[in-house]
Parts: sequence; C-alpha cells; structure tokens
Amino acid sequence: MASGNADEIARSISTFLSSKNVPPTQAWLQNTYLPSIRLTTPVVALQKTALFRILNADLKASVVSSTATLLPPNITDPAVKDKQVRGPVTVQVLDVEDIGRSRWSQVEALEAIERGETTKGREVIRVVPDENGPESTSAPEEAKSSGPHKLQLQDASGAQVYAMELVPVKGVGLQMLIGAKLVLKDFTVARGMLLLEPRNVEVLGGKVELWDKKWRDERKQRLKQKAGMRNGG
Amino acid sequence: MTSVAGHLNSQDFEGAYKSWNGCSPDALFEAPITTYVENDKKAIATNIETQARYASVLFIWTDCDREGEHIGTEIRETALKGNRRLEVRRARFSNIERAHILSAAQSPIHIDENQANAVAARIELDLRIGASFTRMQTLTLRPLLEAHGMGEEVKVLSYGSCQFPTLGFVVERYFRVKNFVPEAYWSIKVMHLKDDIRVNFTWSRGHLFDRLAAFIIFERCLAARLARVTKVETKPTSKWKPLPLTTVELQKCGSRFLRMDSQRVMKIAEDLYTKGWISYPRTETDQFDEGIDLRSIVQKQVQGHAWGQFAQGLLDGGFNQPRAGRNNDKAHPPIHPVNFVDPPALANDEERRVHEFIVRRFLACCSQDARGSKSTVSIVYGSESFTASGLQVLERNYLDVYPYDKWTSTQQLPEFAVGETFEPTEAFMREGRTSPPGYLTEPDLIALMDANGIGTDATMAEHIAKIKGRQYVSTRPRGRVVHAEGEDGDDVFDEEPPVRGARGRGRGRGARGRGGGDNNSRGNTGADGVQEFIPTTLGVALVQG
Repeated sequence: MASGNADEIARSISTFLSSKNVPPTQAWLQNTYLPSIRLTTPVVALQKTALFRILNADLKASVVSSTATLLPPNITDPAVKDKQVRGPVTVQVLDVEDIGRSRWSQVEALEAIERGETTKGREVIRVVPDENGPESTSAPEEAKSSGPHKLQLQDASGAQVYAMELVPVKGVGLQMLIGAKLVLKDFTVARGMLLLEPRNVEVLGGKVELWDKKWRDERKQRLKQKAGMRNGG
Repeated sequence: MTSVAGHLNSQDFEGAYKSWNGCSPDALFEAPITTYVENDKKAIATNIETQARYASVLFIWTDCDREGEHIGTEIRETALKGNRRLEVRRARFSNIERAHILSAAQSPIHIDENQANAVAARIELDLRIGASFTRMQTLTLRPLLEAHGMGEEVKVLSYGSCQFPTLGFVVERYFRVKNFVPEAYWSIKVMHLKDDIRVNFTWSRGHLFDRLAAFIIFERCLAARLARVTKVETKPTSKWKPLPLTTVELQKCGSRFLRMDSQRVMKIAEDLYTKGWISYPRTETDQFDEGIDLRSIVQKQVQGHAWGQFAQGLLDGGFNQPRAGRNNDKAHPPIHPVNFVDPPALANDEERRVHEFIVRRFLACCSQDARGSKSTVSIVYGSESFTASGLQVLERNYLDVYPYDKWTSTQQLPEFAVGETFEPTEAFMREGRTSPPGYLTEPDLIALMDANGIGTDATMAEHIAKIKGRQYVSTRPRGRVVHAEGEDGDDVFDEEPPVRGARGRGRGRGARGRGGGDNNSRGNTGADGVQEFIPTTLGVALVQG
C-alpha cells in the first residue's frame, strides 16, 4: 500500500540520517522532504538525497533537539577553565574568522581581489622579495598566513558558541561555506570556547545558501568594523 | 665609422590632429602618423646619407638590445636613401674587449626585424596613448589647476605610460598609510634562564588577533607547567655575497647606502664611465660572461689604499667566481671598475663614494659567501611550540670588503638536550599593535617599478625625477624609526620587508597645490635620513581622476 510504503521509507531515511548525526524532525520529514520526492525511487538514492537536503537546511528547522545532538547546557561559562564533552554534538557554522591575520590586512586583500589584481596578467607586485640567500629572515608575511580559525557555531536548539582550531582541521577555513554542518566528539571546552582538532571534528559539509551569500556580501564591511573596534580596545 | 645619438626619427600626428582643439582626444587612436627627422638630428641623418654613397656595405654596431635594433633600422633606412644598393649587416657583441669585438666583426648577422618592429609598436603606442591622455587630463583638470592658482605655471599635464604608474605607486601607498587601522594583537613570550644566559623563545604562531583565543592557549601552557625540548640543531648557514651590479641595483643602493637620489647616482656613474674608471653604467645584466678576465680587474685594484689588501687576498687564493643572476641584456656586462684610480684623484666626495661602492661591490662578488653556524632549539609547551635560535658568524669573507651588508653573531645559546624538560623562568602574554607601513622611499619605488616592469634601467630615474619636477609628489625626511616592542625586537608591521616601520610622523596630508612644507624636490639628502614620497593634491587628482 502506498502509505505503508511511505512510512517505511520515512523510517529508513530517519535511521540513515541519525547514523550521520543529523536525525530529522518529523516536521521536516513529513512536510518538507517527503512531499518533494517520488516514492518509487530506490531507497538508497532517497537516503542520499535526504542527507544532501538536510545538510543544506537550517539545523533549527530540520534536526531533532536531543542530548544526542545538542551542546551541553552552560557551556559558555567563562569561569570554567577546562571541561571535557563527549558529544556527539551537531552544529552549523554561522561565521568563520582568520585570527592569525589582522582584519585590516584581510580588507586590503579583498580590495586587491576586487580591483582584479589576482587574475593572471593583471597582478600588481607590492611585496618585493628579499635577496639575502637561504637563511634570510624577512618579517612575517602576514597576508599569506591562514589561521588559526575561530568559528561561531550553533546547535539545533539555537544555542551559540565559539570554537577555535587548536590544530589545523582540514575543511575548516575561509573557504568554508556558511551553514556547513560539523559533528563534534570528545572535545575540550576552555572558558566557554570549544577547542577543535582533527581528531574531534567531522566536517559533514553542506551550507545554507541564503546565509552564505549574505556572509560573503557583508564580509568586507564586517571586517572593517571589527578592525575599527579593535582600535578602541 | 660614424655614429648617431639615440633615435634618428621622430613621430607625430598629421595636420589637424596636431592641435589640441583639432579633435577629441580619443580620435588620436586612429589618426595617421608621420615619421620625420627632428631638426637637431638632421645633420646626423645627412651625414649618413652622404657616407652611404661611398660605401658598399653598412655595418651596424648599435647596442644589442631592442632599442638598438630599431635604431639600426632607422640608420638603414636613411643610408639606403643615399645608396640604394647598400648591403646591410649587423654585429652582435656584449662587451668591448678586443678579442670579443674582433670576433663579432668576423661573424656579422642580420638585423632582427621582429625586435625592431616591437620597438616601432612601442613608439606608436607611446605617442597615441601619451598624446590622447595628456590632452584629456589637461583639459579635465584645468579647473583644479586654476583653483590652486597654478593655471599660469602649468600649461600642460603630460601623461606618460611609465610616469603614471610610478606616481600611482606613490599615491597608493599614501592612501594605504592614511587609511590604515591599527589593531591589537597578542603573543606569548617564553624566557628561560640557563647557564646564566637568557634564552628567548619565539611562538610558532607569531601572534593572534583574538585576545580570548590567545589567553586560553596561554592558560593551557601554564597548566602544563613543564616545557619539553623537541629539537636541538646546529646547521651551517651562509649569507650570500651580492650579485653583480646592475643599474637598478646601483640606484637602489645609492639611495639606501650612499644617501643620493637615483638621478644623481646615474649622473656620477656616467661621469666615472666617460673618464674610464668604470664600465658602462646602463645595464640589466647581473651575470659575468665566462670570457671576461676578472682576475686582471681585481689585480688593478691591488694598489687601492682601503681595499688593496683584500684584493691581494683574492688573488692569493680567495678568488671565487661571482654568482650569476637571471638577467642578461646581451648588450653590456655588469657594472664593474675598469682601471685603477686613486680616490683623492676623483672630482668630489660624491664621486668617491659611488666609485668606492662599485669597487667594493665588485670585489665582494669575487669573494666567498660569509659563513656561520645557526643553532635552533625547539620546545613544546602545552599545545604550543616555541623556538629559540642563535647565530655565530664564523667567516666574514665578503663582508670584510662590503660594509653595506650587516651580519652579526647573536648571543650564544646554552646547551639543551632533546627530551629535556624544564619549567620556563618566565612566560607571559604581551599585547602589541599593528602599525601602518611607511611612505615609499626611493629604493622602495625603484624596486616596485623594477618588479612590475615599469621603465627600463635607463629611464627609471628619469620617471622619478619627472614626477618630482612636475610637482606631482614632494619629498620629506622620514620620521624617526620607533621600535616599541621588547628585547627580541618583535615588531610586527602590517607590511612587507623593505619598509621598516616608520611611524609616518605628522599627518600625511597631501600638500596643497604648490607643494606645501619642505618641498625639497631635489631630493638630495644629507646624512639625515631617507626621503619619503608624498603625493601632492595635484598628484592625487591625476591618479584618482
């Protein structure tokens, strides 16, 4: 029967997504996902499509808020020097920052890109290489460094927290898309900041198109503001 | 045998296009061009035509670069007017040693039409772009000039395709400095006292721009309490002797070490050349040809009072083949001393200083690299790694004759063993602030022009002189360099290596019209300090439109 079929499919998709740490809410399954698919498609394909869709959706509207997915309460308490969290916790990325470079140098880099100076043939050289031989120690080339990165994360209930890379994590960086989903396990929280390392982060991927576009459009402005703020203190 | 003085021909637009109101500037891109011989070159052209009648072969010995090739075709064209049946050959040579010249004479080649045509294209582009933009910007900016009372003085705002980017660099840097927003950063410092030596360890991350992040990391280091040595290494290291001297390098060094602006340096170098003391000073070549007898040149300098002993040392076994750079214009060798001259015999102090620089540079090229030993100790403290390093200069070698480079030993590091642990004597967080880059100095500007292909070795100094002379920029002495950070000289400047952070003292305002303040546009500085370039209001208007 058609509806029995639908229930089975819904259950199998739910189980599959839970195994990926993105257990879907009934609301999302029934109202958003199922109406958009053909029940005759092979289940494996439906599962994969469901994963893709949920990774590109807002966690708050699509994933179950439970102890299996949420950040522990009071995690942002700055008085707590060190705390271990087992997880798993599923979060989405709201913001990425490179804290190894000054914001102003990042603004200048963006403006250089806007002027077209990164396209081949139109490069303007502003840093003249030193000619002192193998052991030359030039001042740090700030513009080239990348990281560590500081992220602003949000779980399915809407709770927000900051995290930073203690050790570089593949997939984390300025090329990350806003709304991308991460699963965190066995991590440390120091003074309210999550400490990320390759061994405790799994980057699931995905994004939220609308947020990502907005982030990119406003990036330069935000960097300028932050640079200005730092000036004040 | 006869000569020309640069290009024989000149180009200009025909008829109505010549006058400023005869057409709109953009029409000049399609307007017809005529080639003619300028009045001051007419005698030369006539001479060639006449001489051609009595010859059967024309042998071209112009410089073996593109411009020379083109001039060769101009000569050919003129000569053929006098004698249609003239055969034309070209000599290929890159220095004027006897053997080389004889060999070039015996194996003539043909003029390279492609290179000549490339220059012809360059000439046409320069004319069209130069004329149309000059007219356009003069007409557009006339109101601004009149507003600043310069309407009588400045009739034409000329546009040059090299001048403009040169000015552009100055303006751009000016705005970068003006718009700069300083930001606070934090870094972790570790110092350990061992064997009575204070060892300063540098954080591998350098510094972070987020206070909480730095603090958290620092706290975790403190919680770890002990640091562990992960690497102890002593490696030989060297400071390379300089490359053979090119024009651009001479100008940069002249500005940096001799405190003379590039035009002055070139003028003196040309004087030294015509008097026979140094080789031709306009060259891009930074490698010495295999055939050149360098030892005999060194031999000539043995009589020198200040460097004679070093020269003798080279001949006695210290001689080393110079490094080869990547450039060879195939027309001239690197700049080097040719005959010995006793410094007191030179005309003035400036000549002596330039001459001394050229001799010392040459001798340094023929020496050995300076050698030293670099030791590094790396530790892990908490989750972070830190490094300390020390340098021992073992052999100064070329540094003894070339005081323009510095390399000094640091304090020696105490002994550490891999795996050793210790509790650091001091560990603390320090806050700093980024500071703006400095305004461009002449060596900076030359380096940028060189890196971006603006101008040639022969013209760079001219372009700089032009933007100064036309009051597009003014120069002023740089503010004192302030190092605000601690012992290990940890200055972080949001800026590239050549510019050591000078806090541009005083607001970098564009000088009003006529050039405000100390418009010392000769740019010749005493021993006071390096000059920096500030664009004038006019200069900024030209670049920004």
